[in-house]
Amino acid sequence: MAGISKYVLWVWALNVAVELGLLLALASRKHYRNYPAFFSYICVDLLQAVVLLPGYLRWGFSAALTERFAWGTQGIVIFARAWAIAEICWHLLGQYSGIWALARRILLFFAFLVALYSILTAGWQWDQTVLKADLGLELTIGVVIVILFLFARYYEIVADPALRVLAIGFFLFSCFTVVNGSILQHKLKQYEDLWRILGILAFLASLSLWFSAFRKPLPVLASGPALLPGDVYRTLAPEVNVRLRRLNEQLSKLGRSRKHRS
Amino acid sequence: MFYLPLFGLIALLLILFFWSLRRPRLSKPVGDQAVAFEDPGPRHITYFPQIRQALEPADLAYLASRGPAGLPRRVRKERRRVAFSYITALRGDFQRLLRLARIIAVLSPEVGAVHEFERLRLSVQFSWRCQLLRLRLVCQLAPIPELSGLSCMVSAFAVRMEAAMKELGERAAMAAELASSLESRGIDSR
Repeated sequence: MAGISKYVLWVWALNVAVELGLLLALASRKHYRNYPAFFSYICVDLLQAVVLLPGYLRWGFSAALTERFAWGTQGIVIFARAWAIAEICWHLLGQYSGIWALARRILLFFAFLVALYSILTAGWQWDQTVLKADLGLELTIGVVIVILFLFARYYEIVADPALRVLAIGFFLFSCFTVVNGSILQHKLKQYEDLWRILGILAFLASLSLWFSAFRKPLPVLASGPALLPGDVYRTLAPEVNVRLRRLNEQLSKLGRSRKHRS
Repeated sequence: MFYLPLFGLIALLLILFFWSLRRPRLSKPVGDQAVAFEDPGPRHITYFPQIRQALEPADLAYLASRGPAGLPRRVRKERRRVAFSYITALRGDFQRLLRLARIIAVLSPEVGAVHEFERLRLSVQFSWRCQLLRLRLVCQLAPIPELSGLSCMVSAFAVRMEAAMKELGERAAMAAELASSLESRGIDSR
Protein backbone atom coordinates (compact mmCIF):
# COMPACT_ATOMS: atom_id res chain seq x y z
CA MET A 1 0.00 0.00 0.00
CA ALA A 2 2.71 2.39 -1.10
CA GLY A 3 1.90 6.01 -0.27
CA ILE A 4 -1.71 5.41 0.82
CA SER A 5 -2.71 6.15 4.36
CA LYS A 6 -5.11 3.67 5.88
CA TYR A 7 -7.66 6.46 6.53
CA VAL A 8 -7.82 7.34 2.86
CA LEU A 9 -8.21 3.68 2.01
CA TRP A 10 -11.03 3.19 4.52
CA VAL A 11 -12.92 6.27 3.36
CA TRP A 12 -12.45 5.19 -0.21
CA ALA A 13 -13.72 1.69 0.58
CA LEU A 14 -16.79 3.18 2.27
CA ASN A 15 -17.34 5.37 -0.76
CA VAL A 16 -17.22 2.39 -3.11
CA ALA A 17 -19.61 0.45 -0.84
CA VAL A 18 -22.21 3.27 -0.84
CA GLU A 19 -21.80 3.69 -4.59
CA LEU A 20 -22.36 -0.01 -5.07
CA GLY A 21 -25.46 0.20 -2.86
CA LEU A 22 -26.76 3.07 -4.96
CA LEU A 23 -26.13 1.14 -8.16
CA LEU A 24 -28.04 -1.84 -6.78
CA ALA A 25 -30.91 0.41 -5.67
CA LEU A 26 -31.05 1.99 -9.13
CA ALA A 27 -31.02 -1.43 -10.77
CA SER A 28 -33.49 -3.17 -8.43
CA ARG A 29 -36.02 -0.33 -8.57
CA LYS A 30 -35.51 -0.02 -12.33
CA HIS A 31 -34.71 3.68 -12.00
CA TYR A 32 -32.30 3.30 -14.92
CA ARG A 33 -35.34 3.54 -17.18
CA ASN A 34 -36.04 7.12 -16.10
CA TYR A 35 -32.45 8.09 -15.35
CA PRO A 36 -30.24 6.20 -17.83
CA ALA A 37 -27.51 8.87 -17.89
CA PHE A 38 -27.27 8.98 -14.11
CA PHE A 39 -27.15 5.21 -13.98
CA SER A 40 -24.35 5.21 -16.57
CA TYR A 41 -22.47 7.83 -14.58
CA ILE A 42 -22.58 5.72 -11.42
CA CYS A 43 -21.46 2.65 -13.42
CA VAL A 44 -18.55 4.55 -15.00
CA ASP A 45 -17.46 6.04 -11.68
CA LEU A 46 -17.56 2.67 -9.98
CA LEU A 47 -15.65 1.11 -12.85
CA GLN A 48 -13.00 3.82 -12.54
CA ALA A 49 -12.59 3.02 -8.85
CA VAL A 50 -12.26 -0.71 -9.59
CA VAL A 51 -9.71 -0.07 -12.35
CA LEU A 52 -7.65 2.37 -10.29
CA LEU A 53 -7.60 0.46 -7.03
CA PRO A 54 -4.82 -2.05 -7.91
CA GLY A 55 -2.59 0.75 -9.19
CA TYR A 56 -3.15 2.85 -6.08
CA LEU A 57 -2.46 -0.11 -3.81
CA ARG A 58 0.76 -0.91 -5.64
CA TRP A 59 2.21 2.52 -6.41
CA GLY A 60 0.20 4.98 -4.30
CA PHE A 61 -1.76 8.10 -5.29
CA SER A 62 1.17 10.29 -6.19
CA ALA A 63 3.06 8.00 -8.58
CA ALA A 64 3.29 9.53 -12.07
CA LEU A 65 1.79 6.47 -13.76
CA THR A 66 -1.28 6.19 -11.51
CA GLU A 67 -1.78 9.95 -11.57
CA ARG A 68 -1.81 10.03 -15.37
CA PHE A 69 -4.07 7.04 -15.58
CA ALA A 70 -6.45 8.54 -12.99
CA TRP A 71 -6.69 11.87 -14.82
CA GLY A 72 -7.12 10.10 -18.14
CA THR A 73 -10.07 8.07 -16.92
CA GLN A 74 -11.44 11.17 -15.16
CA GLY A 75 -12.21 12.55 -18.63
CA ILE A 76 -14.67 9.72 -19.23
CA VAL A 77 -16.23 10.21 -15.77
CA ILE A 78 -16.67 13.94 -16.38
CA PHE A 79 -18.27 13.25 -19.74
CA ALA A 80 -20.71 10.83 -18.04
CA ARG A 81 -21.41 13.44 -15.38
CA ALA A 82 -22.14 16.09 -18.03
CA TRP A 83 -24.59 13.68 -19.63
CA ALA A 84 -26.29 13.13 -16.26
CA ILE A 85 -26.59 16.91 -15.82
CA ALA A 86 -28.14 17.18 -19.29
CA GLU A 87 -30.61 14.52 -18.19
CA ILE A 88 -31.57 16.57 -15.12
CA CYS A 89 -32.15 19.59 -17.38
CA TRP A 90 -34.30 17.50 -19.69
CA HIS A 91 -36.37 16.03 -16.85
CA LEU A 92 -37.06 19.45 -15.40
CA LEU A 93 -37.88 21.43 -18.54
CA GLY A 94 -38.10 18.94 -21.40
CA GLN A 95 -41.88 18.57 -21.17
CA TYR A 96 -42.34 22.25 -22.05
CA SER A 97 -41.01 22.42 -25.58
CA GLY A 98 -40.98 26.22 -25.91
CA ILE A 99 -39.30 26.88 -22.58
CA TRP A 100 -36.92 23.96 -23.12
CA ALA A 101 -35.74 25.34 -26.46
CA LEU A 102 -35.05 28.71 -24.84
CA ALA A 103 -33.42 27.24 -21.72
CA ARG A 104 -31.24 24.91 -23.78
CA ARG A 105 -29.79 27.84 -25.71
CA ILE A 106 -29.13 29.82 -22.53
CA LEU A 107 -27.60 26.86 -20.70
CA LEU A 108 -25.36 25.97 -23.64
CA PHE A 109 -24.27 29.57 -23.94
CA PHE A 110 -23.27 29.81 -20.27
CA ALA A 111 -21.67 26.37 -20.31
CA PHE A 112 -19.62 27.38 -23.34
CA LEU A 113 -18.64 30.66 -21.69
CA VAL A 114 -17.46 29.08 -18.42
CA ALA A 115 -15.72 26.20 -20.22
CA LEU A 116 -13.94 28.66 -22.53
CA TYR A 117 -12.82 30.74 -19.57
CA SER A 118 -11.50 27.61 -17.86
CA ILE A 119 -9.58 26.50 -20.94
CA LEU A 120 -8.09 29.94 -21.48
CA THR A 121 -6.97 30.29 -17.87
CA ALA A 122 -5.55 26.76 -17.64
CA GLY A 123 -1.75 26.53 -17.67
CA TRP A 124 0.20 24.25 -19.98
CA GLN A 125 1.88 22.01 -17.43
CA TRP A 126 0.46 18.51 -17.76
CA ASP A 127 -0.75 18.01 -14.16
CA GLN A 128 -1.95 21.62 -13.74
CA THR A 129 -3.81 21.67 -17.06
CA VAL A 130 -5.82 18.56 -16.30
CA LEU A 131 -6.58 19.74 -12.77
CA LYS A 132 -7.65 23.18 -14.03
CA ALA A 133 -9.74 21.70 -16.81
CA ASP A 134 -11.42 19.47 -14.25
CA LEU A 135 -12.12 22.46 -12.00
CA GLY A 136 -13.43 24.42 -14.97
CA LEU A 137 -15.83 21.64 -15.89
CA GLU A 138 -17.02 21.33 -12.30
CA LEU A 139 -17.61 25.07 -12.23
CA THR A 140 -19.54 24.78 -15.49
CA ILE A 141 -21.74 22.08 -13.97
CA GLY A 142 -22.41 24.28 -10.93
CA VAL A 143 -23.33 27.29 -13.07
CA VAL A 144 -25.57 25.22 -15.34
CA ILE A 145 -27.48 23.75 -12.38
CA VAL A 146 -28.01 27.19 -10.82
CA ILE A 147 -29.26 28.70 -14.08
CA LEU A 148 -31.53 25.71 -14.62
CA PHE A 149 -33.19 26.08 -11.23
CA LEU A 150 -33.42 29.86 -11.53
CA PHE A 151 -35.17 29.31 -14.83
CA ALA A 152 -37.54 26.79 -13.26
CA ARG A 153 -38.28 29.18 -10.41
CA TYR A 154 -39.03 32.05 -12.78
CA TYR A 155 -41.54 29.94 -14.69
CA GLU A 156 -42.83 28.31 -11.48
CA ILE A 157 -41.93 24.81 -12.62
CA VAL A 158 -41.71 22.53 -9.59
CA ALA A 159 -39.00 19.86 -9.69
CA ASP A 160 -39.71 16.29 -8.67
CA PRO A 161 -38.15 15.61 -5.19
CA ALA A 162 -35.77 12.95 -6.57
CA LEU A 163 -34.63 15.34 -9.28
CA ARG A 164 -34.01 18.05 -6.67
CA VAL A 165 -31.90 15.68 -4.59
CA LEU A 166 -30.00 14.60 -7.68
CA ALA A 167 -29.24 18.22 -8.58
CA ILE A 168 -28.30 19.10 -4.98
CA GLY A 169 -25.83 16.20 -4.91
CA PHE A 170 -24.17 17.19 -8.16
CA PHE A 171 -24.14 20.86 -7.27
CA LEU A 172 -22.62 20.47 -3.81
CA PHE A 173 -20.00 18.07 -5.08
CA SER A 174 -19.06 20.39 -7.95
CA CYS A 175 -18.78 23.38 -5.60
CA PHE A 176 -16.67 21.42 -3.17
CA THR A 177 -14.40 20.14 -5.95
CA VAL A 178 -13.82 23.68 -7.21
CA VAL A 179 -12.96 24.98 -3.73
CA ASN A 180 -10.91 21.92 -2.86
CA GLY A 181 -9.02 21.90 -6.14
CA SER A 182 -8.25 25.60 -6.19
CA ILE A 183 -6.81 25.50 -2.66
CA LEU A 184 -4.83 22.42 -3.53
CA GLN A 185 -3.54 24.14 -6.64
CA HIS A 186 -2.29 27.25 -4.92
CA LYS A 187 -1.56 26.76 -1.28
CA LEU A 188 -1.87 23.43 0.35
CA LYS A 189 0.09 20.97 -1.71
CA GLN A 190 1.54 19.64 1.54
CA TYR A 191 -1.95 18.72 2.83
CA GLU A 192 -2.74 16.65 -0.22
CA ASP A 193 -3.89 13.63 1.79
CA LEU A 194 -6.29 15.66 3.89
CA TRP A 195 -7.82 17.29 0.84
CA ARG A 196 -8.09 13.92 -0.87
CA ILE A 197 -10.04 12.57 2.10
CA LEU A 198 -12.27 15.67 2.11
CA GLY A 199 -12.91 15.21 -1.61
CA ILE A 200 -13.92 11.59 -1.11
CA LEU A 201 -16.12 12.58 1.85
CA ALA A 202 -17.86 15.23 -0.26
CA PHE A 203 -18.63 12.63 -2.90
CA LEU A 204 -19.75 10.26 -0.16
CA ALA A 205 -22.20 12.92 1.04
CA SER A 206 -23.60 13.27 -2.49
CA LEU A 207 -23.84 9.50 -2.85
CA SER A 208 -25.72 9.26 0.45
CA LEU A 209 -28.17 11.92 -0.71
CA TRP A 210 -28.78 10.06 -3.96
CA PHE A 211 -29.06 6.76 -2.16
CA SER A 212 -31.72 8.20 0.17
CA ALA A 213 -33.68 9.47 -2.83
CA PHE A 214 -33.45 6.33 -4.94
CA ARG A 215 -33.79 3.59 -2.34
CA LYS A 216 -37.59 3.89 -2.49
CA PRO A 217 -39.86 3.71 -5.53
CA LEU A 218 -40.34 7.01 -7.31
CA PRO A 219 -43.65 8.34 -8.60
CA VAL A 220 -44.20 7.71 -12.30
CA LEU A 221 -42.93 10.66 -14.32
CA ALA A 222 -45.81 12.71 -15.67
CA SER A 223 -46.28 12.72 -19.41
CA GLY A 224 -45.98 16.10 -21.14
CA PRO A 225 -48.72 18.68 -20.55
CA ALA A 226 -51.14 19.66 -23.31
CA LEU A 227 -49.56 22.70 -24.95
CA LEU A 228 -51.45 25.70 -26.27
CA PRO A 229 -51.88 26.39 -29.99
CA GLY A 230 -48.69 27.86 -31.45
CA ASP A 231 -50.03 31.30 -32.38
CA VAL A 232 -51.36 32.12 -28.90
CA TYR A 233 -47.93 32.99 -27.57
CA ARG A 234 -46.98 34.88 -30.73
CA THR A 235 -50.09 37.03 -30.31
CA LEU A 236 -49.94 37.57 -26.57
CA ALA A 237 -46.24 38.01 -25.78
CA PRO A 238 -45.68 41.18 -27.85
CA GLU A 239 -48.99 42.56 -26.60
CA VAL A 240 -48.00 42.03 -22.97
CA ASN A 241 -44.61 43.60 -23.54
CA VAL A 242 -46.06 46.67 -25.27
CA ARG A 243 -48.42 47.19 -22.33
CA LEU A 244 -45.59 46.85 -19.86
CA ARG A 245 -43.39 49.23 -21.80
CA ARG A 246 -46.14 51.83 -21.82
CA LEU A 247 -46.67 51.34 -18.13
CA ASN A 248 -42.99 51.92 -17.49
CA GLU A 249 -43.05 55.02 -19.62
CA GLN A 250 -45.98 56.24 -17.59
CA LEU A 251 -44.04 55.68 -14.39
CA SER A 252 -40.95 57.39 -15.75
CA LYS A 253 -43.03 60.53 -16.30
CA LEU A 254 -43.08 60.80 -12.54
CA GLY A 255 -39.34 61.41 -12.41
CA ARG A 256 -39.46 63.82 -15.32
CA SER A 257 -42.29 65.86 -13.82
CA ARG A 258 -40.42 66.16 -10.52
CA LYS A 259 -37.32 67.38 -12.31
CA HIS A 260 -39.45 69.84 -14.25
CA ARG A 261 -41.00 71.18 -11.02
CA SER A 262 -37.66 71.54 -9.25
CA MET B 1 -5.25 35.50 -2.59
CA PHE B 2 -5.98 34.44 -6.15
CA TYR B 3 -8.77 32.08 -5.16
CA LEU B 4 -10.87 34.58 -3.18
CA PRO B 5 -12.94 35.72 -6.22
CA LEU B 6 -13.55 32.06 -6.98
CA PHE B 7 -14.80 31.48 -3.44
CA GLY B 8 -17.03 34.53 -3.82
CA LEU B 9 -18.46 33.04 -7.00
CA ILE B 10 -19.08 29.72 -5.27
CA ALA B 11 -20.80 31.48 -2.36
CA LEU B 12 -22.99 33.38 -4.82
CA LEU B 13 -23.85 30.17 -6.66
CA LEU B 14 -24.77 28.48 -3.36
CA ILE B 15 -27.04 31.36 -2.34
CA LEU B 16 -28.72 31.48 -5.75
CA PHE B 17 -29.15 27.72 -5.86
CA PHE B 18 -30.77 27.38 -2.45
CA TRP B 19 -32.91 30.45 -3.11
CA SER B 20 -34.09 28.92 -6.38
CA LEU B 21 -34.94 25.65 -4.62
CA ARG B 22 -37.31 27.43 -2.24
CA ARG B 23 -40.93 27.24 -3.24
CA PRO B 24 -42.11 30.59 -4.59
CA ARG B 25 -44.49 32.49 -2.33
CA LEU B 26 -46.93 32.94 -5.19
CA SER B 27 -47.22 29.25 -5.81
CA LYS B 28 -50.58 28.01 -4.68
CA PRO B 29 -52.60 24.86 -5.24
CA VAL B 30 -53.66 24.02 -8.77
CA GLY B 31 -57.18 25.19 -8.00
CA ASP B 32 -55.98 28.74 -7.57
CA GLN B 33 -54.28 28.65 -10.96
CA ALA B 34 -57.59 27.72 -12.49
CA VAL B 35 -59.15 30.75 -10.78
CA ALA B 36 -56.40 32.96 -12.20
CA PHE B 37 -57.19 31.76 -15.70
CA GLU B 38 -60.89 32.29 -15.33
CA ASP B 39 -60.64 35.65 -13.60
CA PRO B 40 -57.63 37.55 -14.88
CA GLY B 41 -59.17 41.00 -14.29
CA PRO B 42 -57.68 43.39 -11.75
CA ARG B 43 -59.34 43.49 -8.34
CA HIS B 44 -58.12 46.80 -6.96
CA ILE B 45 -58.25 49.08 -9.97
CA THR B 46 -61.85 50.04 -9.17
CA TYR B 47 -60.69 51.98 -6.12
CA PHE B 48 -58.74 54.50 -8.15
CA PRO B 49 -61.32 57.36 -7.97
CA GLN B 50 -61.31 57.16 -4.17
CA ILE B 51 -57.52 57.14 -4.06
CA ARG B 52 -57.39 60.12 -6.39
CA GLN B 53 -59.86 61.93 -4.17
CA ALA B 54 -57.78 61.06 -1.10
CA LEU B 55 -54.67 62.57 -2.65
CA GLU B 56 -56.32 65.79 -3.83
CA PRO B 57 -54.61 68.81 -2.18
CA ALA B 58 -57.92 70.71 -2.28
CA ASP B 59 -59.38 68.34 0.31
CA LEU B 60 -56.57 69.00 2.73
CA ALA B 61 -56.72 72.72 2.10
CA TYR B 62 -60.43 72.64 2.95
CA LEU B 63 -59.75 70.72 6.19
CA ALA B 64 -56.95 73.14 7.12
CA SER B 65 -59.28 76.09 6.70
CA ARG B 66 -62.24 74.61 8.59
CA GLY B 67 -61.02 71.87 10.94
CA PRO B 68 -58.89 71.82 14.08
CA ALA B 69 -55.12 72.36 13.81
CA GLY B 70 -53.94 68.72 13.92
CA LEU B 71 -56.61 67.33 11.61
CA PRO B 72 -55.04 67.96 8.16
CA ARG B 73 -51.80 66.31 9.27
CA ARG B 74 -53.57 63.27 10.62
CA VAL B 75 -55.76 62.95 7.54
CA ARG B 76 -52.76 63.33 5.23
CA LYS B 77 -50.94 60.58 7.12
CA GLU B 78 -53.90 58.23 6.95
CA ARG B 79 -54.52 58.91 3.28
CA ARG B 80 -50.89 58.36 2.46
CA ARG B 81 -51.09 55.00 4.15
CA VAL B 82 -54.12 54.16 2.03
CA ALA B 83 -52.21 55.21 -1.10
CA PHE B 84 -49.34 52.92 -0.11
CA SER B 85 -51.75 50.04 0.26
CA TYR B 86 -53.22 50.87 -3.11
CA ILE B 87 -49.80 50.76 -4.83
CA THR B 88 -49.08 47.42 -3.16
CA ALA B 89 -52.42 46.07 -4.34
CA LEU B 90 -51.84 47.40 -7.85
CA ARG B 91 -48.49 45.72 -7.91
CA GLY B 92 -50.17 42.51 -6.82
CA ASP B 93 -52.63 42.79 -9.70
CA PHE B 94 -49.77 43.40 -12.07
CA GLN B 95 -47.80 40.44 -10.75
CA ARG B 96 -50.83 38.23 -11.17
CA LEU B 97 -51.16 39.25 -14.80
CA LEU B 98 -47.46 38.73 -15.37
CA ARG B 99 -47.78 35.28 -13.86
CA LEU B 100 -50.53 34.55 -16.34
CA ALA B 101 -48.18 35.60 -19.14
CA ARG B 102 -45.51 33.23 -17.76
CA ILE B 103 -47.99 30.35 -17.66
CA ILE B 104 -48.83 31.05 -21.30
CA ALA B 105 -45.10 30.96 -22.10
CA VAL B 106 -44.63 27.67 -20.25
CA LEU B 107 -47.50 26.04 -22.12
CA SER B 108 -46.51 27.37 -25.54
CA PRO B 109 -44.77 25.09 -28.03
CA GLU B 110 -42.52 27.95 -29.11
CA VAL B 111 -41.15 30.76 -26.94
CA GLY B 112 -39.34 33.86 -28.18
CA ALA B 113 -36.21 34.77 -26.25
CA VAL B 114 -36.60 38.45 -27.18
CA HIS B 115 -40.12 38.65 -25.75
CA GLU B 116 -39.15 36.83 -22.57
CA PHE B 117 -36.11 39.00 -21.86
CA GLU B 118 -38.06 42.11 -22.70
CA ARG B 119 -40.72 41.14 -20.17
CA LEU B 120 -38.14 40.35 -17.53
CA ARG B 121 -36.47 43.71 -18.08
CA LEU B 122 -39.79 45.55 -17.99
CA SER B 123 -40.92 43.87 -14.81
CA VAL B 124 -37.67 44.88 -13.11
CA GLN B 125 -38.29 48.44 -14.30
CA PHE B 126 -41.85 48.29 -13.04
CA SER B 127 -40.69 47.25 -9.57
CA TRP B 128 -38.10 49.99 -9.52
CA ARG B 129 -40.60 52.64 -10.53
CA CYS B 130 -43.12 51.46 -7.98
CA GLN B 131 -40.47 52.05 -5.35
CA LEU B 132 -39.91 55.54 -6.73
CA LEU B 133 -43.63 56.19 -6.53
CA ARG B 134 -43.60 55.13 -2.89
CA LEU B 135 -40.67 57.42 -2.22
CA ARG B 136 -42.58 60.26 -3.81
CA LEU B 137 -45.49 59.62 -1.49
CA VAL B 138 -43.14 59.61 1.49
CA CYS B 139 -41.90 62.99 0.31
CA GLN B 140 -45.53 64.16 0.39
CA LEU B 141 -45.87 64.64 -3.33
CA ALA B 142 -49.22 63.61 -4.74
CA PRO B 143 -48.54 61.97 -8.12
CA ILE B 144 -52.19 61.77 -9.20
CA PRO B 145 -51.67 61.84 -13.01
CA GLU B 146 -49.00 59.18 -12.76
CA LEU B 147 -51.06 57.05 -10.45
CA SER B 148 -53.98 57.43 -12.80
CA GLY B 149 -51.83 56.37 -15.73
CA LEU B 150 -50.54 53.39 -13.82
CA SER B 151 -54.03 52.26 -12.95
CA CYS B 152 -55.23 52.68 -16.53
CA MET B 153 -52.35 50.63 -17.85
CA VAL B 154 -53.02 47.76 -15.48
CA SER B 155 -56.70 47.91 -16.32
CA ALA B 156 -56.10 47.91 -20.09
CA PHE B 157 -53.63 45.08 -19.76
CA ALA B 158 -56.15 43.07 -17.78
CA VAL B 159 -58.91 43.67 -20.33
CA ARG B 160 -56.64 42.52 -23.15
CA MET B 161 -55.55 39.47 -21.20
CA GLU B 162 -59.14 38.61 -20.40
CA ALA B 163 -60.07 38.81 -24.09
CA ALA B 164 -57.05 36.73 -25.01
CA MET B 165 -57.86 34.08 -22.43
CA LYS B 166 -61.40 33.88 -23.73
CA GLU B 167 -60.05 33.48 -27.26
CA LEU B 168 -57.64 30.87 -25.96
CA GLY B 169 -60.44 28.87 -24.36
CA GLU B 170 -62.42 28.94 -27.59
CA ARG B 171 -59.42 27.78 -29.62
CA ALA B 172 -58.64 25.00 -27.16
CA ALA B 173 -62.24 23.82 -27.34
CA MET B 174 -62.10 23.91 -31.14
CA ALA B 175 -58.83 21.96 -31.18
CA ALA B 176 -60.27 19.34 -28.83
CA GLU B 177 -63.38 19.05 -30.97
CA LEU B 178 -61.27 18.68 -34.13
CA ALA B 179 -59.05 16.06 -32.51
CA SER B 180 -62.03 14.04 -31.30
CA SER B 181 -63.71 14.20 -34.72
CA LEU B 182 -60.45 13.04 -36.40
CA GLU B 183 -60.15 10.25 -33.86
CA SER B 184 -63.71 9.14 -34.41
CA ARG B 185 -62.99 8.92 -38.15
CA GLY B 186 -59.90 6.83 -37.42
CA ILE B 187 -57.46 9.41 -38.85
CA ASP B 188 -54.07 9.76 -37.19
CA SER B 189 -53.85 13.48 -36.42
CA ARG B 190 -50.03 13.34 -35.97
